[in-house]
Amino acid sequence: MVMRSLISVVDDDESVRESLPDLLREFGFAAQAFSSAEEFLASDCVGQTKCLILDIAMPGMTGPDLRRELTVRQQEIPIVFITAYGDATVRPRLLEQGAVECLFKPFSETALLQALNDALRVS
Amino acid sequence: MRDLHKRTGTEDELIRVVDALPGLVWTALPDGHVDFLNQRWCEYTGLSVDESYGQGWQTAIHCEDLPELLGRWRSILASGEPREMEARLRRFDGEYRWFLFRTNPLADSSGQIVKWCGVNTDIEDRKRAEEAVNGVDRLFRSVVDGLPVLVTLRTPAGDLEFANRHVLEYVGATIEELKKLPTTGTVHPDDLPDLLAVWKGSVETGHPYDIEVRRRRADGVYRWFHMRGSPLRDTDGHIVIWYLLGTDVDDRKRAENLLAGEKQLLEMVAGGDPMSGILEALCQLVESTVTGCYCSVLLLDPDGTRLERGAAPSLPANFIASIIGRPVKVDSGPCAMTACLNDQVIATDLTAETRWAASDWCSMALAHGLQACWSTPISSTTGKVLGTFAIYFAQPRTPMPQHQILIDQFTHLASITIERAQTDAALKRSEAFLAEAQHLSSTGSFSWNTVTDKITWSEELYHIYGLDPTVPITMERFGSRLHPDDVAHVSEHINRARGDGRDFEVDYRTQMDDHSVKYLHAVVHAGRDQDGQLEYFGAVQDVTERRLSEQALSKLRSDLAHIARVTSLGALTASIAHEVNQPLSGIITNASTCLRMLAVDPPNIDGARETARRTIRDGNRASDVITRLRALFSKKDATTELVDLNEATREVIALSLSELQRTQVILRPEFGDDLPPVTGDRVQLQQVILNLLLNASDAMGGVNDRPRQLIIKTERDVGDRVRLTVQDAGVGLEPQGVDKLFEAFYTTKSDGMGIGLSISRSIIESHHGRLWAAPNDGPGATFSFSIPRGSPGDMTGVHNLDALQKPAVKDAQRIVRNP
Repeated sequence: MVMRSLISVVDDDESVRESLPDLLREFGFAAQAFSSAEEFLASDCVGQTKCLILDIAMPGMTGPDLRRELTVRQQEIPIVFITAYGDATVRPRLLEQGAVECLFKPFSETALLQALNDALRVS
Repeated sequence: MRDLHKRTGTEDELIRVVDALPGLVWTALPDGHVDFLNQRWCEYTGLSVDESYGQGWQTAIHCEDLPELLGRWRSILASGEPREMEARLRRFDGEYRWFLFRTNPLADSSGQIVKWCGVNTDIEDRKRAEEAVNGVDRLFRSVVDGLPVLVTLRTPAGDLEFANRHVLEYVGATIEELKKLPTTGTVHPDDLPDLLAVWKGSVETGHPYDIEVRRRRADGVYRWFHMRGSPLRDTDGHIVIWYLLGTDVDDRKRAENLLAGEKQLLEMVAGGDPMSGILEALCQLVESTVTGCYCSVLLLDPDGTRLERGAAPSLPANFIASIIGRPVKVDSGPCAMTACLNDQVIATDLTAETRWAASDWCSMALAHGLQACWSTPISSTTGKVLGTFAIYFAQPRTPMPQHQILIDQFTHLASITIERAQTDAALKRSEAFLAEAQHLSSTGSFSWNTVTDKITWSEELYHIYGLDPTVPITMERFGSRLHPDDVAHVSEHINRARGDGRDFEVDYRTQMDDHSVKYLHAVVHAGRDQDGQLEYFGAVQDVTERRLSEQALSKLRSDLAHIARVTSLGALTASIAHEVNQPLSGIITNASTCLRMLAVDPPNIDGARETARRTIRDGNRASDVITRLRALFSKKDATTELVDLNEATREVIALSLSELQRTQVILRPEFGDDLPPVTGDRVQLQQVILNLLLNASDAMGGVNDRPRQLIIKTERDVGDRVRLTVQDAGVGLEPQGVDKLFEAFYTTKSDGMGIGLSISRSIIESHHGRLWAAPNDGPGATFSFSIPRGSPGDMTGVHNLDALQKPAVKDAQRIVRNP
C-alpha cells in the first residue's frame, strides 16, 4: 500500500478544520488538522507533512510566524497559505518569501488541488 | 264837694250823691278851669278842693303824662265833643295809678257849652293787664331778635312782613332796605331755582317746606342755611302769613362736603382713576373748604432731585411752571425746602420772607398775587418724601389748628393717592413684563382650585391654546382640547393632584382647531388659598418648536450616528470579510467534499450527509453575520426595547474579533452574571460598544512593549443602573484632551472623523445614561458608560409621545364628566 502524502491543516477556525481534511482525504491525501501553530509544532507530524495548509491570522503564533519558525528549524515544508481576509497585497509578499500559494477563502477545490499539486511537485 | 255858691237843700242832696259815686267826678268851665271836684277826688289825691280848683288838679297828674293830657284836654275843649283821655294820677300816699278821664260837654238851650263834666275811673288793673300784654310782645320780639336763626315773615304773596335782627345783621340792611330787595335777593343763584320751586309748591298746597340754600352774608360770603317755612292760619283756616326759619348749617355742610369729597377721592383712588385727576380733585376740595385759598401738589421725581407737576387747578400756570423743575434745595422755594427737609414750611407773609431770597422765589410769588404759602411734605408709609402739598393765599395768613387738621388729612390722602399710583404703575409694569415674558417664552400661567375647580388662565395661555380669553376656561374646555392619547395620563395627574397636594410636572399635547398639535410642558406647584383650600399654580410652556427641533435633531443625530456606524464598520471591512469568508469557505469545501463522496461507487452516503449538514451550519453562520451586519448598516428610527447588554456586547465582539486578532489585541471579556436588561435601542448601544472597542484597539496600535490587553466588562452599577467598561493598555489620554474627547470632530487619529465619541455620548445620554473617560493607574485609559436598567413598562418610551398608551374610553369620559 502506497503511503498517502500527509497534508497538515493549521487553522483556528473549527469549520475549516472539520471540512478541509475530509476534502483532502477525498482527494486521496492523508490529512491532519491543528487548531494552532503551537499545536502543530508540538505534534509528531511536522516531519511527515508534505504540505502545510496554513491560516495566516491566528491568535498567538500566526501563519507567517510558523513559516519563519520552520525555516529556523530547517524544516522546509511547502506551504499553501489560506486567509479569510481579502487583502490582496499580502499574497505577493508571501509568495516572494517562498510560499507555494496563498488562497483567499472561500476557494474552489480546483484552486486547492492546483496549489497542492504545485506544493507536492516542489517537494 | 264844695261849691262857690250858696247851696240849696236840693243841691246838698245832689252833692252827697256825687260824693258817693264810685269815681272821681269833676266839672270845668268852658275854658277848662275846674270848678268842682267831688269828695272822692280829695280822698284819693289827698288834695283839698281849694288846692285842686283851676289849674291846681294838674299837680296830681304824672309829670310824664301831663303834657299829652293837657294837649288832649285842649283839643277836647276845642272840639266840644265827648272824649276820653288817660293819665296817671297820684294817690295821697304818692303812688300813681292809671285813670280814664271821660269828659262830656253840658250845653244850654241855645247849644252853647256851659260846663264840662268829667269822671275819672281807676283803670290801673286794666292798664297793668295791657302793659303785661305789651311786655310779652316786647319779650317775644327781643327773643326772636336774639335767636341765632334767621326769622322772617312773608305774606302768601311773598312780601316781607318781618325780619328779625339776625336777618338784618346777616344781610347788612335795614328792614326797609330789605323790603325793597327782590324776594330772593340774597340767595345763591345756583340754589334759587330749587328754592323758588319749593316756595311755589308750598304756597299752592299750603304744606310746610324744608330746603338747604346758600345765602349771601353782608361781606359777600355765601353760607349754607337750612330754610324751613310754615304757614300760619286764621280761625277760618286761611293762611295769613308764612313764617320762615333759617338755620346756619354752613359748618355742618362744609364738614359734610369735606367728608363727601374725601369719600369721593378715596373712591377715585380705589377705582384706579388717574393720579393727576385725583390730585386735582383733592386741590379743588381743599379750595372749596378753605375760603380764598389756592392749592398745589408737587411730586418728587424718583431721583429726589426735582419737583414734578402733580396738580394745581387754580394757581396760575406760569407760576407752577416756574416752580417745577427747580432743584430740591432749601433755598429754591418753600416746596423745594419742604421736600428737602421732609418738614412743613410755613410762610405767613411773603412780603417779609427772606428764606428764598437766593432764588428770588418770593418776588415771583408776589408777582402772581400770592402772599402766604404753607407747604407740607407728602410722605409714604415708610417716611419717604413723595411730594409736597401747598396752600397759598392772596393775603398774609397764619394757619389755625383747624387748618392744620385739614392739611394733615389732605397730605395723608395725597400720600395714599401717590403711593397707590406708584404701586399701580409698578404693578402694571411688572404685569406688562410678565405678559411680555410669557409671550416671549411662550409660557402661560394658571391657577386651579381643587375644591371649586375654578381655573384662571393668563392671557398668554389662552393664546397658546388659541382660545378666546373672554370665555372663562373650565376643566371641560381644557379636557376637550387634550390630545386623545394624552387624556389618560393627564387625568391621572389631575386626580392624583386632587389628593396629594404635591408639585408635579407633566408633558402633554393639545389639539388646535386646525387639527395641528402643540406640545406643552407644565410645571405645577401646590399651594393653599386664603381659605386653606388646595390650589395649584402652574406654568405651561409651549415646547412644540423645541419638540420639533428635538425630533429634527434626533433625526440628524440618528443620521450622523448611521454615518459614524458605517464609518466604524468600514474599519471592520477586513474583519467582516473574514467573518463572512470563513463560513463561505467551509460551505464550499464541504460542498466539494459532499459531491466527491457521492461521486464514488459506492457513494459515501454517510459522509455526504455529514458534509451537507456542515454546509447548512456554515450557511446559517454566514447568514447570522449578514443579519447582524444588516442591522448595523441599516438606517432606521430609534426603537426602544429591552436589551441584554451582555449579548449585545458578544455580538459586537464577534464582528470585531478578527480585527482584534489582526491587530493582536488580547480581548478579555468579563461579563457580569444576572445582568438586568436595559431599555434602549440595541443597534445604537452596539454602535457605542463597537466604537469603544475600536478606539481601545486603535489606542494600542503602537504599543509593542506590553500586551495589548483589552478588558470589556459589564456589571451592575449603583442606582439600578448597568455599567459597561472598556479598559485598554494604550497611549492613554492627553490631559488637555480629556475635556475635548467627546466634542464632535475632535480626533487624534489621522483617519478618523472625530464624531465617534461625540455620537456615542449623545446616544448614551438619550438613554438617560452617562459616558465618561478616565486614565488608568497604569498605562492606558478606561471608557465607561452607565445607563438605567429597564423595566417592561419602559417599553412605551419616555421621549416618544406618539407611543403613549391609548386611553381607555371610560377614562376619556371621566375627565370630561368629572375632571
